Amino acid sequence: MTGTMRELQFLAKDRAVLLWLGIALLVTGLSVLLGLGEVASERAIISELIDIDRAEREAQRELHRDWGSTAYYTFHLTYDAPSDFAFAALGMRDTSPWKHSIRALALEGQIYETDADNPDFALIGRFDFAFVAAMLAPLLLILLLHDVRSRERAAGRYELLSAVAASPGSPWLVRAALRAVALALCLIVPLVAGGMLADAGASELVLASLIVALHIGFWWGVCALVDRFCWSSPVNLTALIGAWLALAVIAPAVMRSAVESATRLPDGGELMLVQREAVNDAWDLPKSATMEAFVERHPQWAAYTEVSQPFEWKWYYAFQQVGDQTVEPLSHAYREGRIRRDELAAKLAWFSPPTLVTRILQDIAGTSMKDSLDYEQRVRDFHAVLRDYYYPRLFRDEAFTDESLGERPEWSTLPSPGR
Amino acid sequence: MTTILSAQALSVARSGQQVLRDVSFDIEQGEVHALLGGNGAGKSTTLLTFLGFLSPASGSAQVQGREACDNIAAARQAIAYLPESASLYGHLNAYENLRYFLSLAKAEAHQPALDTALERVALQADAREMRMQTYSKGMRQKVAIALAILREAPILLLDEPTSGLDPAAIDEFNRLVRDLAENGRTILLVTHDVYGACHVADRIHLLHKGELVGTFDRPAGMNRIDTEAVHAAFATHSSA
Repeated sequence: MTGTMRELQFLAKDRAVLLWLGIALLVTGLSVLLGLGEVASERAIISELIDIDRAEREAQRELHRDWGSTAYYTFHLTYDAPSDFAFAALGMRDTSPWKHSIRALALEGQIYETDADNPDFALIGRFDFAFVAAMLAPLLLILLLHDVRSRERAAGRYELLSAVAASPGSPWLVRAALRAVALALCLIVPLVAGGMLADAGASELVLASLIVALHIGFWWGVCALVDRFCWSSPVNLTALIGAWLALAVIAPAVMRSAVESATRLPDGGELMLVQREAVNDAWDLPKSATMEAFVERHPQWAAYTEVSQPFEWKWYYAFQQVGDQTVEPLSHAYREGRIRRDELAAKLAWFSPPTLVTRILQDIAGTSMKDSLDYEQRVRDFHAVLRDYYYPRLFRDEAFTDESLGERPEWSTLPSPGR
Repeated sequence: MTTILSAQALSVARSGQQVLRDVSFDIEQGEVHALLGGNGAGKSTTLLTFLGFLSPASGSAQVQGREACDNIAAARQAIAYLPESASLYGHLNAYENLRYFLSLAKAEAHQPALDTALERVALQADAREMRMQTYSKGMRQKVAIALAILREAPILLLDEPTSGLDPAAIDEFNRLVRDLAENGRTILLVTHDVYGACHVADRIHLLHKGELVGTFDRPAGMNRIDTEAVHAAFATHSSA
């Protein structure tokens, strides 16, 4: 009988080990199922919204037969569909918006809108595979490995096992390796099964599995290091839980605090308020002041800035645009600050393997902060395209025709990010 | 005769404290020696030194002519060790325990051999497939002794082997030890049991506070060492 077979049979009869492995399989399976459910729910919402969006625009087409009203009353659905691997790491989709209803009005008042069912739940975060792999897997491994050797010492078997073992180191290495591999399989098998159900790419699954295996390998190393001190099982467990607390809980909290201190962001509320005031104040300003500010950015419409009526749509959309221009420095600083924070957090994540694992899985799943910012940028780009579509029709006072309306950009026809 | 185990001026320290001082003895092939002494006499320390778990502070502990601490793998390969209160795995039955440990030693574990060994230590047949956590201390000890037999190692180091055994099982065990020695095994056992040691051993080494304070040989033609002489020496040192 080989050492591996011997220890495999031994493991199969160890109820405590089987219990922990069963729990690992259960929580991983549950996290994958919850992730698949969340992705299916998001896809169903998007699908439903696409139908509603289309029906709504058809209805608006009948109700409004001028460009100003059409631009005002027509909402455009934008969305960031979850990737096929998003079930494993829901990431920023919890707290950052992944769908919008955009109008050709001032964008800054629309782009940060998001649904929040319960902010407290959003703070806690999702129970997804990334959470299990990053936070729970090390704990389970610690429970499996903390007493591999110390339990034998306590039971008076250590000398017997060492004296009987034909090769030095046996059976500790094989025993620990089997437990670590079994735990890795309890994580990877449900992940791959979920991936196959979700039609995720093989390369994503292989990469995620590799990350899980490396993470378990890291914590195995920590367990082996603590084991070298020959402490008792309770002392080993205390030391290892302490290491887990330090690396998985305290280090991320310290890092978050350091990142927030090092990179200050403009206040989001201030950004909204300044933009709102700029738009509202425009009603009381001379129309020429608004149009001059508008033309500075859009000189191609300089010949069309005369506003002779008390209300004209081109003036209305111009002050919406000027409202966005007013907060542009703040908005830019807010976005750049979030990018810098994310970059700094990515560097610091190397000091916390659980944080690093979470970030990598979110990168693979397309649910990272970078992906959220990319989606935000795509919404901005779409909004710009929408303005470019409406401005010639509004400023030149072009005739409203169905043919011209058919040229209106739609989110679904824009190039996707490739997922 | 070939010297199989040899301690020469052996001194060992544990946690900075001298626990063996200048102990010397040789054990030839096929002999049974007993280390006798009270608690803290250094009996188990001597066994652990031959197994390479402890290194001599001075002197030597040789197994088959080689220094044990420099040739640990070879020493352990040659020795079947039975620790005091051997605790095998409670969640495995007797067969599974024997198979596990024999596999660890890369030794054969055929079913008939397992049954023969368990019969030699008189473990009831109906208990052999029960989890060992249901065993009495004596039953666990029997399985551990069976393991030492099955190892088929030329040397047996037995630490309090009769601890937990009933008188009938002790007699059976003593016969087994003599039988193994007659078949060429070299045996060093550690015990508190003066009577048992006198009956099974060819030579008794009396240890007291880490020093060898007496040696008693089985007289030629006799079936045991003089129990009263050993008792007297043991009592003298115990009360000292």
